[in-house]
Amino acid sequence: MDLIGYIGLGISAVFSGPELMPGVPITPFMILAGFFLGIVVGATPGLAGPMAMAVSLPILISVFGYTPDALLPVLGFMIGIMKGATLGGSVPAILFNTPGTPDAYMTTLDGYPMARAGQPGRALRIAHVSSATGDTFSDLVLILCAPFLAIMVERYLDLPEKTALLILSLAFIATVIGRSVGKGLISLGLGLFAVSIGTGEDFYPRLSMDMPALATGFSVTSAVLGVLIIGEVFKGIEDYARAQRSGQGLQAPRMEGPQGLAAGDLRRILPYIARSSVIGTIVGALPGVGSTLAATLGYSSARATHSRRDTQPEFGSGAPEGIAATEAANSSVSGANLIPVLSLGIPGNAAAVFLILAMESIGGFNPGPSVFRFSADGVNPELVIAFGLFTAMMFANLLNWTVGGVFMRLVGVMVRIPRAILLPVVLLLTLTSIYVGDPKMSAIWIAIGFGVVGYAMRRIDMSPLPFVIAFILGSRFEDTARQSFEATGGNPWFLFSSPVAASFMALAVLIVVLSFINKRSARA
Amino acid sequence: MNLRGPAKKALTEMPSLNPDRLLGLLFVAVSVAVLVLWVPNDIETGLIEKVRRQVRIGDSMMPVLSLAFVIFGAVLCLFAPQRDAPQLTLAHVRYLFALGLVLAASLLVMRWAGPFAVDLFGAEDTYRNLRDERPWKYLGFVLGGTGLVAGIMTVMEGRFSGRTVLVGFVASVCLIALYDLPFDDLLLPPNGDV
Repeated sequence: MDLIGYIGLGISAVFSGPELMPGVPITPFMILAGFFLGIVVGATPGLAGPMAMAVSLPILISVFGYTPDALLPVLGFMIGIMKGATLGGSVPAILFNTPGTPDAYMTTLDGYPMARAGQPGRALRIAHVSSATGDTFSDLVLILCAPFLAIMVERYLDLPEKTALLILSLAFIATVIGRSVGKGLISLGLGLFAVSIGTGEDFYPRLSMDMPALATGFSVTSAVLGVLIIGEVFKGIEDYARAQRSGQGLQAPRMEGPQGLAAGDLRRILPYIARSSVIGTIVGALPGVGSTLAATLGYSSARATHSRRDTQPEFGSGAPEGIAATEAANSSVSGANLIPVLSLGIPGNAAAVFLILAMESIGGFNPGPSVFRFSADGVNPELVIAFGLFTAMMFANLLNWTVGGVFMRLVGVMVRIPRAILLPVVLLLTLTSIYVGDPKMSAIWIAIGFGVVGYAMRRIDMSPLPFVIAFILGSRFEDTARQSFEATGGNPWFLFSSPVAASFMALAVLIVVLSFINKRSARA
Repeated sequence: MNLRGPAKKALTEMPSLNPDRLLGLLFVAVSVAVLVLWVPNDIETGLIEKVRRQVRIGDSMMPVLSLAFVIFGAVLCLFAPQRDAPQLTLAHVRYLFALGLVLAASLLVMRWAGPFAVDLFGAEDTYRNLRDERPWKYLGFVLGGTGLVAGIMTVMEGRFSGRTVLVGFVASVCLIALYDLPFDDLLLPPNGDV
């Protein structure tokens, strides 16, 4: 089957798949539901898209089961959350000077002053247009790039090269995230060590100390949710207890004059949106580099241009260009972040981690180069799902452009939920969700243990993301390395046996060295 | 003791150990201990093994490689520490201890409240057989969940009030409505493994 045929099947899988009720396909409905939930979650300081993805996964699997038909509704819902949360994060940032998500911090710098000046509606509309544009651009790049990258990987990379590519990706993630290369490498090593426990090829599960709880290894859900979500909740609880602050007493800004986009606003912000979209897409395509960095780079670059042009108002005092640059940059990360997921099977951020978890839990779709295998005879079902995902993303963008702006203006109230209620309830929700997915009390205890690890990492300024990504990729890394070693007849230098593999290894070393030098000189 | 002169100067000017250096030392020490004591004694095969004249990677390779990453990272922390590196303090440990107490108590209530109630109120059956029957199946979850939320709210706000219990109860009931009422195949804690 050719490309056009697969595109048609992908669209059809979304719009003619299983039905919610006669004539209403389930997948578009799930994307819509996820998108609205994402906006609500993004607009609630203390919550984040990945949290909502994590707790909804067991419910979704229970509803849709472990069949290939479940893939698009479940992934569509999660993609909806991912996109909605990015949009929703700007709402409290603009209205209350409180970023709903970390990447919306830069939005407060100009969004809040504009809202204080009586134009909250205009600020929200600028944020919406910029976010939707950046998101759509990023998705188009994903759709164009991921298949080609995957085909190149499949055509030119053999087992040793794939092993070297995994090492390169892990080295990149460990050294680029956070302020310390050393701590990134420790986090990576701990993740690989944790996934080693209770696994292996011998009859005896390694490092299990004859304990049944360790003999089956740590479940991915307990480890990932523990480090990413519970660790963050533990930190949030302590921060609150120390600061004794709550969201109560926030004053909604007054409205003065027209709240729509002013004449000339679009012409003014479009160049900034375009540049930030490119910056965010490039940053997003690199595994491990998050939307907060994209927003910072987009904002800094726009501020430099703005000051050269001497346009009023200045950045930091309600400039529409500031809101546009930040929102376009952080939103354009989400699509590009799926490039390494779909083409290499490597998650680039927390949201991508949960998408991969969903794919692995349901089965029938293994993200990686093999997805984009065009077969002359017969149909590759994974490729149909991939094009179904692209369709789901474009449908979510359509929702973003049409109803997203209206809905985001309604959810400003979420910031008023006190954190003293929100955080304990999120913790109970997360623990219940873990148990529902793996009904053993030991799963809860293990998740709490990983939560303590995640808390400690945050307290010593060590990013937990290398740990999580190493935990997810660890088994694949070990399997690929074993197969490469055997395929090369036990050659101990198999990682340097071809120019491509050797280049990847050299690049991995170079990235570690350069990151170390850069971060050290930045601190000096 | 009242120190004077050079002794006082030496003590006051003695550089305190940077938190990153301390972290580096700790991870090097623990990793070496794991490499020497745990890995060789709890894994059946070494780095490389030979099976039927074929050389293969053994089960020890991955843990050793991961510890090598940890040691390398720790050495970087040791020799190039962050100047303003944050560290875990006694206050953090105290907080974790308090949180751990709340979590442990509420999870124990969650686990044992149901079986205890069945024993106490004389239902002529075991909790295991009643774990899919109302109200027994909700008892542990509601009591434990309420305790967990109320306990953590108390830690956060620094005081206990009836409001914390009400919030915990409402949250537990909402989660029952979310997970249990619509789905027959989902089990709330602790009903999956009692």
